[in-house]
Amino acid sequence: MTDSNKTPRLLLLLDILAGLGVLAAFLLVMLYAPIELTMGRVQKVFYFHVAASWSGMLGFLVATVAAIAYLKTNDLRWDIASLAGVEIGMVFIALGIISGSIWARPVWNTWWTWDPRLTTTLIMELIYSAYLLLRGGVDDPVRRAKLSAVYAIVGFTSVPLTFISIRVFRTIHPVLVGSSDPSLGTFAMSPRMQAAFFGSLAAFTLLFIALYWHRYRLGSAQSAVMQKRMEIEAGGEQ
Amino acid sequence: MKKFFNAVLAIFWKDLLAERRTREILGTMLVFALTVILVFVFAFDLSVDMRSKAAPGVIWVTLCFAGTISLNRSMSLEKDREGFDGLLLAPIDRTAIFFGKALVNWVYMLITAIIIVPVYALFNNVNLFSPGFIGVIVLGTLGYILTGTLLSSLSLQLRARDMLLPVLLFPVLIPLLLSAVRASTILLQGGIEGELSTWIMLLAGYDLLFTAVGLLVFDKIIEE
Amino acid sequence: MTPDTTAYMIAGFVVIIGGILVYVLSLYLRQAKVKKDALTLHDYEQDV
Repeated sequence: MTDSNKTPRLLLLLDILAGLGVLAAFLLVMLYAPIELTMGRVQKVFYFHVAASWSGMLGFLVATVAAIAYLKTNDLRWDIASLAGVEIGMVFIALGIISGSIWARPVWNTWWTWDPRLTTTLIMELIYSAYLLLRGGVDDPVRRAKLSAVYAIVGFTSVPLTFISIRVFRTIHPVLVGSSDPSLGTFAMSPRMQAAFFGSLAAFTLLFIALYWHRYRLGSAQSAVMQKRMEIEAGGEQ
Repeated sequence: MKKFFNAVLAIFWKDLLAERRTREILGTMLVFALTVILVFVFAFDLSVDMRSKAAPGVIWVTLCFAGTISLNRSMSLEKDREGFDGLLLAPIDRTAIFFGKALVNWVYMLITAIIIVPVYALFNNVNLFSPGFIGVIVLGTLGYILTGTLLSSLSLQLRARDMLLPVLLFPVLIPLLLSAVRASTILLQGGIEGELSTWIMLLAGYDLLFTAVGLLVFDKIIEE
Repeated sequence: MTPDTTAYMIAGFVVIIGGILVYVLSLYLRQAKVKKDALTLHDYEQDV
């Protein structure tokens, strides 16, 4: 087949870098970062938890920017770019939520609290699930692109408001979770912790770019196949 | 500007006239809203104390559910009878359609609210009259309708039609709903005054933001 | 006294790294399927 179907060199390099980066970050977290005193080993999840959530937010941000670009240009490639962002965002945010839950269980003594960040991310998962349902409900690619771009923008617009409103709600109605010490979930980061933290962030950013690129390529390949199929069907009818 | 205004009003009157002849939407909304309230009262076996505490939540949830009826219906009426094609052919700004539709849906919501709030108060023997509460209902239903009109004109074009509207709409509405319920609770049951202004500001901010979003994207949804 | 939360730590990393691997696998499988479809279509066109 044509050259465009081969994985570009740069992407392969990125794959290797992202893989090595995550491995290095993992070693940094496990061997270099100290064990936090009040929480014990589970605190190490924090580094990857934040990094995964960060990548998830990046995905949603890219999806929104691509949606705006689609409405401006009507270029279907932006639609593929938007969907890729949503899908990767949902995966990473889900991982962030689950790993956060696992961290919260021993530290806060509960799997879940209705804190602003947790609640907002949960609502975001709902919004983007609705986005995927919407896409499933339209057959025509151009209309699908248009409607989902609009919904991506509407959905993302409400995210900061959701966060603010739940934050106001929470500061007025604090919940006591397990312990009376509210600072139990927070801690000051030592230099070694910071190294592990920023190392993880960098590794997951690389991983995000690599995965995003792959997902985008998958999307364009899928739409090319769809296009060809439609051409053949149209040709067969003549 | 004046032309735009006239177009909005023309669409508004057109829909009201159609509704006056059938009384389909408002009738359904009201009966449905009253049923929802009844279900709430039985489901939670609300004691006298709880009836007043739960009032803002029950009323807002009821309004949200009832609102989807008018949102779906007023849009699918156009679709079924090919009214949309006529509207699109009219030499008016597309966003006038958005605001006209939003206006008529807003009026339905307000009428529903005007009826169900006193009914709730009467049946449950709680006082729900407060000028501030009326203000919150006006601001809250406005935001609801702006988002709802936008998303119902979107969901109308999906294969499943109206099935998807609540799924698309409710997660986006959460900040609005939370602000409206908290503001209503403070107004009806007392609370910190400073908190109230925060919620009102959030409501107003939501309304403004979604007016802007509606203005910017509505014509993208309906262009053929 | 530092509590022993090793089990939770392992669970957390298994979820994150496992989740990423599952997603990579799903990308790979979907890409393979698209490639197969493209080849099938290509062959079909040649035949016709």
